[in-house]
Amino acid sequence: MEFRKGKQDKIKRALLDQLVFLFPMLLFLIILYGTLFWTIYVSFTDWKNINPNYQIVGLKWYKFLVSQPRFWVDVQNNLKWLILGVLPTTILAIFIAYLLELSPLPGVESYVRTLLLYPVAMSFIVTGTIWSWMYEPDRGVINTLLRQLGLNSRLPFTTDPQTATYWLILIFIWQYLGFAVIIVQSSIRTSELQEMVEAATVDGAGKLRILFSIVLPNIRSGLLVLVSLLLISSLKVFDIVYIVTFGGPGIQTDVLALNMWITTFQQRLFSAGAGLGVIIFLLAFILVIPYTLYAFRRWFE
Amino acid sequence: MKKTLWTILSILLVLAFGLTACGPAATPTPEKIVETVTVEKTVVQVVTATPQPKAKKLEIFHWWTAPGEREAADAMFTAFKAKYPDIQIVENPVPGGGGVSHRVVLQSRLIAGIPPDTFQTLGGAELKNYVDSGALQPLDDLWAELDYAKVIPGPLAKAVTVNGHPYVVPLNMHIQNILYYNLKLFNELGLSAPTKFDELLNACAKIKQAKPEMTCLALGSKEKWGDAFVFDSILLEQGGPEYYVKLYKGEIDVANDPVFRASLEKFKQLIPYINSDHASLTWDQSVALVGSGKAAMVIMGTWAIGAFVKGSNWQPGVDFGAVTFPQVPERILLFHPDCYGLATNAPDPEETLNWLRVVASPELQVPTDVTQGGLFARTDIDPKQFPDPIRQELQSYVRDHPDKLILDQHGSILPASAQPIYWDIISAFLAQPDVEKAIKETANMMTTYGVKEASGWYQWP
Amino acid sequence: MRKNLTLQILVFLTLLVLSLAYLLPVYVMITTSLKSIEEINRGNYLSLSLSPQFENYREVLFGSPRFRSQMMPRLLNSVIISFSVTFLSLFIGGLGGYYLSRTRTFFARLLFILVGIALYMPYQAIIIPLVIFMARTKLALTHWGLILAYLILNVPLAVVLLGTFFLSIPRELEEAAQVDGASKIQTFFQVVVPVSLPAYASVAIIVLTQVWNEFFLALSLASPKTQTVQVVMAEAKGTTLVFYNLQMAAALIAVSLPMLFFLFLGRYFIRGILAGALKG
Repeated sequence: MEFRKGKQDKIKRALLDQLVFLFPMLLFLIILYGTLFWTIYVSFTDWKNINPNYQIVGLKWYKFLVSQPRFWVDVQNNLKWLILGVLPTTILAIFIAYLLELSPLPGVESYVRTLLLYPVAMSFIVTGTIWSWMYEPDRGVINTLLRQLGLNSRLPFTTDPQTATYWLILIFIWQYLGFAVIIVQSSIRTSELQEMVEAATVDGAGKLRILFSIVLPNIRSGLLVLVSLLLISSLKVFDIVYIVTFGGPGIQTDVLALNMWITTFQQRLFSAGAGLGVIIFLLAFILVIPYTLYAFRRWFE
Repeated sequence: MKKTLWTILSILLVLAFGLTACGPAATPTPEKIVETVTVEKTVVQVVTATPQPKAKKLEIFHWWTAPGEREAADAMFTAFKAKYPDIQIVENPVPGGGGVSHRVVLQSRLIAGIPPDTFQTLGGAELKNYVDSGALQPLDDLWAELDYAKVIPGPLAKAVTVNGHPYVVPLNMHIQNILYYNLKLFNELGLSAPTKFDELLNACAKIKQAKPEMTCLALGSKEKWGDAFVFDSILLEQGGPEYYVKLYKGEIDVANDPVFRASLEKFKQLIPYINSDHASLTWDQSVALVGSGKAAMVIMGTWAIGAFVKGSNWQPGVDFGAVTFPQVPERILLFHPDCYGLATNAPDPEETLNWLRVVASPELQVPTDVTQGGLFARTDIDPKQFPDPIRQELQSYVRDHPDKLILDQHGSILPASAQPIYWDIISAFLAQPDVEKAIKETANMMTTYGVKEASGWYQWP
Repeated sequence: MRKNLTLQILVFLTLLVLSLAYLLPVYVMITTSLKSIEEINRGNYLSLSLSPQFENYREVLFGSPRFRSQMMPRLLNSVIISFSVTFLSLFIGGLGGYYLSRTRTFFARLLFILVGIALYMPYQAIIIPLVIFMARTKLALTHWGLILAYLILNVPLAVVLLGTFFLSIPRELEEAAQVDGASKIQTFFQVVVPVSLPAYASVAIIVLTQVWNEFFLALSLASPKTQTVQVVMAEAKGTTLVFYNLQMAAALIAVSLPMLFFLFLGRYFIRGILAGALKG
C-alpha cells in the first residue's frame, strides 16, 4: 500500500516537473512552428487581396515570383550582402583582434572595444538614420566635410544606382565590426592557444607566421560561429535598406526581405509574400545547418 | 550585487506590468494630447454636452498627421462638431505619408471584423480593393439625398463609383500635374511658363546657360511616385487624354506602342536637367530645392503650395508661379480625391452617415481644403474662398470644364498590385535610362497583374 | 627594432581610421541634436553649438507643429514591451533551458534542434499568420500582441543562452538539494537560479536590446497605440527630413535604453553578446 502510493506520488511529481519546465517552452515552439507551417500553406493558396483566400493553387505564386526581374535583382543583392557583409567584417575583425593581441597596452584595448561596440546597442533604424545623413550628396556630413577641406566633393553614395548597395553594406560592416572583434578575441584568448603562441614566439617565429599557422587554424570554431551569425544577419537585412533607400534608386538596392514587405503590405499579394517568406526561411535554414550541428554536438557531448 | 539586480528587475517588471495593465486605457492619451493642444474648444464641448447614458461616438481612421494635414483634420472635426456636437469623435491617426502605414493597420482591423466606422481612402483602385473585399457599404441613398452627383465633377463621381454604386464621399481633389516655377527667376530671364514639353526643354536650356549652378527641374524620387508624376505629364502630352486612360487601363499594347516609346525618349532628354541626387530626396525636399533657389521648377501636386508657403516662406504669385502641365493637346488635370465611406459592420452607422453628410457639405470642405491644399470637391463653392490665385484659377477651371479631369498616379487607375511595380520601373528608368527595358517591363507588368481586367471598372470621361 | 616600428605605425593608423569612423557619427549626432536649424544650415557640422538647444529634446519627446511624432508615448510602449518580453522569456527560457540541459532523452535532443532552428527564424516566414492571428484575437489592439509575437522568437534565444550556462553548473549543488528533500522545482528556483543571476542579467540585456531595436515586426504589427520607438523613428526621419537636429535628437532617444545598459552595465552586455554568439 505504502509502496504504491509512493510510486504514484513520484509519477505525479515527475509529471508536474515536466509540466512546469517543459510546457511553456514547448507551447511557444508549437506556436512558432505553427505559424511557419501556416505561412508555407498560405504560399500555396491564392490570397491576393484583403480577404483571405485559402484555395490551393499549387506553385502559381512561386512561379510568379521567379518570373519577376525584381526577384533576381534581390538574389543578386542578397548574394552581395552575404559575401561582402561577411568576408570584410571577419577579415577586419581578425586583423584588429590580432593587432590588439600584439600591442598589449591595456588602455588601447578597452578604448577600441568601447569604440567599436557602441553600434551594437543601436538599432539599424538609428544607424540608418545617421548614415543617411552622412551620405547625403548635397548637405550630408561626409561631403560637407570634404568640401571644407577644399575638395569639390559630391560623392553620390547611395543615390548612385551602380554603387548604392555597397554603401549600404558598409553600414552593416560598420555596425557589426565590434561584435566580430570581441568574438574573435575571445576565441584567441583561450589558454591553449595562448600557450601555443608563446611557445612559437620563443622559438622565434614571426608574427605573421604565427597568425596564419597557429592562430587561424585554432579559432576555427569561433570563426564558424561568427560567420554563421553574420550570414544570417545579412540575409535578413531589412531595416537598413528600408530606412536609407527603400530599395532605390529604382530597385537597385532591393533585397528579399524588403520585397516581401512590399509584396505583402503594399501590393496585397499575400500568397506571394508568404512564398518569399518561405524562400527566405529555406535560405536561412541552409546557412544555419553547420552551426546548429556544431552547437548540438557541444551541447549533448 | 545579486540582490540589487533582482530588486531592480522586479521593480522594473512590476512597473512594466502596471503600465501594461492600464495600457489600452493609458495609451490613447497620445491622440488626446495632440487633440487638446490644437482643438481645445471641441473637447470642452464634448465634456459638457453628454448627459445621455450611451455616448454617441464615431471612430475615424485617417493619415493626416503631417504639418498642414493635421490642421486640416482638425478643421474637419470642428465642422462636424458644429453640426453634431453630441457625437464624440474617436480618431485614429496613423502617421506615415500617403497612408502607407495606415493601410496596414486598417487591414488588420478589417480582417479581424472590427472595422472603424469610417476610414480615409483615395478612391480609384484602392477603393475598388475595399469594395471587392466587402469593406464598404454602397451609398446610393445618401448620394440621392444630397444630390451629390450633381455638385461634383463627373469624372470625380465616376472615380468613386464601382459597378454603378458610389461607395464613398470625396471631400477634395488634389491635382497632380502642376509645374511650379521660380517667378522672380523667370521674370529676370524673360521666360514664360512652359505649357508643353518642348517649351520646358527650352526653358531648361536657357536657365542652364544663364545659371549653370541651378538645377532646372527638381525631383524627389525617394518615394518613387515623384518620377511617375513627371512621366505622366509627358505621356499626357504625347498621347492625349484618351491614350492616357487607355494605357493605365491596360488597353494599349505597350510592347509595340510608338507613343510610349516616344514618351520614354523624351523623358530621357529631360534627365540631364534633373538634380542628380533625386534618389535621396522626398517630395518636400524637392519643393524646398526650388524654394531655396537651388532649382528652377518642380512638377508636383496642389499640396506643394502649402509646402512652399510653410516650408520656404514663398508666396504664390509673388515668389512662385504655377501652371498645369502640359496644356496640349488639351488642358487636362490629373487628380485624386480624399474620401470617407461607411464601413461594413460599422458600430455606429447612424453617426457615420451624419459624418458623411457633413463631409459632403461646404461647411467642412471650405476650411479643410483651404488648409490642406486641395481643391473643393463641390463645384458650387466660390473659388474665391481660396487665399491663393493658383487654386482660385484651378477651381474655376474645374467648375467650367468638369470633364477635364482624369484619375492620377496616387488614387489610381492601375490596380494596387501593379502600382508599386510601375513606380519601380519608372524609377529604374530614371536611374538607368534603358528604353527597351522599360517597355518590356511595363508590357510584362500589364499581363502579369492582369491590369486590363483589374482596371476595367474605371470609366472615362 | 624595425618590426616594432612597423607594428606601432600599423596600430596607430588603425586607431586613427577606427576613431574617425566611429567617433565622427556619434559626435555629429550629439552636437547636431543640440543645434538650431540656422546653425545647421551654416554647415559647420563639427562645431559645438553656441547655444545648446535642449529644447529640441522636449520638442521631440512631446511633439510640436513641425514634429508630430512625439516620442514619449512610444518610449513608454517600447519600455512596456521590451521589459515584459525580457522577463517572460527569461522565466520561460530558464525553465526550458534547464530542462534541455539536464535531460538526455531523444525527445530533448529533438527539441534542441527545433529550438536551434527557431533561433534564426526570419520574421518574414511567420509574419502573415501573426498579423491575422493578432487581428482576429484583437490582441493587435493591446501591447500583448507584440509581446506575444516577440516572445515567440525570443524564448528560444533565452532557452539556449541560459541552458548553456546551466550546463556548466556542477550537478553536486542540485544533488545536495535533492538529498535534502527538495523537489526539482524547488531546486531550480532556490538553488540554480540564484547561482545563475549573472547569466540572467546578461541574457536580460541581450533580449531587451534585441526587442527594443527590432523593427520589422514592430512595423508590421503596429497599431497607433502600440507603436515602438523604432517605428516612430522611421516615420520621424521620413517626415522631418530637413530638421536634422530633431532627427538626431529622436535618434538619441531611440537608442537611450540599450545605450545606457551598454555604458553602465557594459560587462554584462559584452558577456551577453559573447554568450549569445558562442553559446558556451
